[in-house]
Amino acid sequence: MPPNEIWITIDGQALKVPPGITILEAARLAGVEIPTLCYHPSLTANAVCRLCVVEWRGSRTLVAACAGTVRPNAVILTNSRRVRTARRTILEMLAASVDLSDAPDLQALLAEYGGDPNRFGEDAARRTFDGVKADNPFYVRDYDKCVLCWRCVQVCADDVQHTYALGFNGRGFHTEIATFFDAPMPDTTCVFCGNCVGVCPTGALKGKREYLWGG
Amino acid sequence: MSYQPVLTARVGVVDPASLKDYEAHGGFRALRHAIAIGPDAVIDLVTQAHVLGRGGAAFPAGIKWKAVNEEHGPKFVVANADESEPGTFKDRVIMEGDPFSLVEGVIIASYAALAEKAYIYIRGEYPQAIACVQQAIAACYAAGYLGENILGAGFNLQVEIRKGAGAYICGEETALFESIEGKRGFPRLKPPFPTQSGLFGRPTLINNVETLINALPLVLYGPDWYRQFGPSDSPGPKLYCLSGRVRHPGLVEAPMGTPLSELIYEYGGGVTGSGELGGVLLGGAAGAFISPEMIDVFMDFATLREIDAALGSGVVMVFDTSADIKGVLKRIAHFFAHESCGKCFPCQLGTQRQVEIIDRLAADRLRPGDLALLREVGQTMTDASICGLGQTAAGAIRTALDRFGYEASTGEFYTFQR
Amino acid sequence: MTAARTLTSPQMAALRQILQRYRGQGGAYLLPCLHEAQAVTGWLDADTCTEISRALNVPLVQVHEVIEFYTLFYNEPVGRRIVRVCDDPPCFLAGSSEIVRACARQLGVDEKGGTSSDGRVTLEIHPCLGRCEQAPFLMIDDDAHGHVQPAQIPDLLGEGA
Ligand SMILES: Cc1cc2nc3c(=O)[nH]c(=O)nc-3n(C[C@H](O)[C@H](O)[C@H](O)COP(=O)(O)O)c2cc1C
Ligand code: SF4
Ligand code: FES
Repeated sequence: MPPNEIWITIDGQALKVPPGITILEAARLAGVEIPTLCYHPSLTANAVCRLCVVEWRGSRTLVAACAGTVRPNAVILTNSRRVRTARRTILEMLAASVDLSDAPDLQALLAEYGGDPNRFGEDAARRTFDGVKADNPFYVRDYDKCVLCWRCVQVCADDVQHTYALGFNGRGFHTEIATFFDAPMPDTTCVFCGNCVGVCPTGALKGKREYLWGG
Repeated sequence: MSYQPVLTARVGVVDPASLKDYEAHGGFRALRHAIAIGPDAVIDLVTQAHVLGRGGAAFPAGIKWKAVNEEHGPKFVVANADESEPGTFKDRVIMEGDPFSLVEGVIIASYAALAEKAYIYIRGEYPQAIACVQQAIAACYAAGYLGENILGAGFNLQVEIRKGAGAYICGEETALFESIEGKRGFPRLKPPFPTQSGLFGRPTLINNVETLINALPLVLYGPDWYRQFGPSDSPGPKLYCLSGRVRHPGLVEAPMGTPLSELIYEYGGGVTGSGELGGVLLGGAAGAFISPEMIDVFMDFATLREIDAALGSGVVMVFDTSADIKGVLKRIAHFFAHESCGKCFPCQLGTQRQVEIIDRLAADRLRPGDLALLREVGQTMTDASICGLGQTAAGAIRTALDRFGYEASTGEFYTFQR
Repeated sequence: MTAARTLTSPQMAALRQILQRYRGQGGAYLLPCLHEAQAVTGWLDADTCTEISRALNVPLVQVHEVIEFYTLFYNEPVGRRIVRVCDDPPCFLAGSSEIVRACARQLGVDEKGGTSSDGRVTLEIHPCLGRCEQAPFLMIDDDAHGHVQPAQIPDLLGEGA
């Protein structure tokens, strides 16, 4: 029989939590805020952005709080030096690669962690595309602003719509969200459900009206 | 050097296309013995011998074999022959020179784990190895070593080759499963581990080619024989891939824990180029550089871990003092940027930033702050990446800077006066 | 959309046969099917991918993103023969830069790789090919060439080869 509650320690605070919850949920119970980006409560947690990493005593690497589940007697630090260095560096590298002008939450985080994206130099490679893709009456795709959180691909595929219009081009730094042979949206399986626009955290996907008239 | 090879004893001796020849040289004796003692006894042997995985992570094989054996329902065995770690060629030599031994290893593992379906995932850049193993599988079906009721023992096994398509990351076990399932090679989050949920969501035993062929002599001669080689925490025969500036580059079979100096000077015939050792890369691009004064180190998993190096896949890449070490570091950085799958931010972004800084270092154009930046990018990849690729992408570069006396003011590596 | 498909009728027939064999097999046979199809067609165009998607019952975008991920699959025309030169450390130490230069000169392409203007040969700088003991090493399609010398390149890649 699994116990109904287990003891864990978060940032020095001992607490009893239900077994099997994520570190992120446990931290909320402890009143501790952990930053997230790719995580969305109604989608599969793929833990790709790694902004939510925490230190777990005994673990060789940091652990993603959005996907890692607590175990009895876990000792977790959510804001150690090691954790802060990782978060700051990820944010800096992101800001040096992607246009975050429509992502005020990320800009605020970058400031909070004291990040300076200019450290990589003005010639650091950025992910830029030739203009905004406005190939349908409903929404536009501005991939200069895409952080590759995977949310749009997930809602289009197994997490919600099972439409499979969106996937990936390339790999590594050159990964992009794409359609079959980069076809315009109306030529794909897209049903214009709008789910992808709804989950985009950075303004890369926008309804046409919002894009044209702002706000 | 009095050691008699066992894992590679048939390579270059038998006709790799002939099952008869394989049998005449002791082939399938291990399988017959395994069937005589039963799956549980086979697993006991692997556990008692303390076989550590030869794919790089050094995980005890017995634990995995037992875990999969105890699971119910359909399960799989996978032989990992993706072999894309720079400097690694051992599995290719086995598959081209003695392909039946891999097939026999797969049959024994499947028999022990109670799996009825196995895959051999071979990198697409190994067409000869694929042809040899394909041919061996066909011969085994024809002779009753594969298929239904193998050797009349009442167990069935189907084996299929899967050809990779150019992706280092597909050697990572969960990315490899994704690849067999027909997807991009994105590593999965662990847990769950493959022994619980692997290929097609089923319990899966995945081992490196060399790990699997270790089972053959082990089943025949027992754990005491196996453990006479190497230290007790890291035993057995070992394949080392000797490359770079040595007189006789090639595959060396020697006991685990052989001193590095013996590999370079006795097996390898000494250093070429300037004739003077500059450094050695152990474990491949994902491994670590060590400096000349460290070459008496014993080449086993535990010892190398202690000195912040890695045995990994057995790579021993030798550099003389005249080697263009900056050109080497540049290629290592580009390798990781090219092979990052792009799933997680630290590696997807960090491998690109690392390339930019190393390109500057190689061009003697380092900017103030670049080395500190490189260190933070490296630490972030090591600490926060999802899988082993990102976690090891900074190791070789970090150890080169630390151990070869890089002097930022002159842009020179002390050990390499070119 | 990229270049359209230009297949001869024997190629079409061979492709049909492959698709017939893989019909209904699902994603677990996507990689084998792509390998076989590409061996016939040279590269994987949108029409061929659409037919593969239908035959295997795998989403179109999955076929596309898989081809995009793996370096041995091509969704653009490539040379009829592909030369892969290893330039990772052991080959680099053995002079692979000279080999790359000789290949690029012979084919009239950039040293980063490319396809000769007659569409005959594509040069690729490839990550470690696992033949480090035979450095410098290159492959021409499935054929291995170890300890290769720059002087051999014209013979290996020349018109008659
Ligand atoms: C980026 C990466 C590449 C890998 N490549 C290989 C490989 O080519 N062959 C291999 O056996 N293991 C490789 N591994 C290790 C596997 O994930 C896994 O640990 C291994 O196949 C388990 O077998 P073993 O226990 O017999 O070593 C790789 C790991 C990583 C992170
Ligand atoms: S560490 Fe690199 S290779 Fe591994 S999942 Fe992350 S991006 Fe992919
Ligand atoms: S929020 Fe956890 S990894 Fe992105």
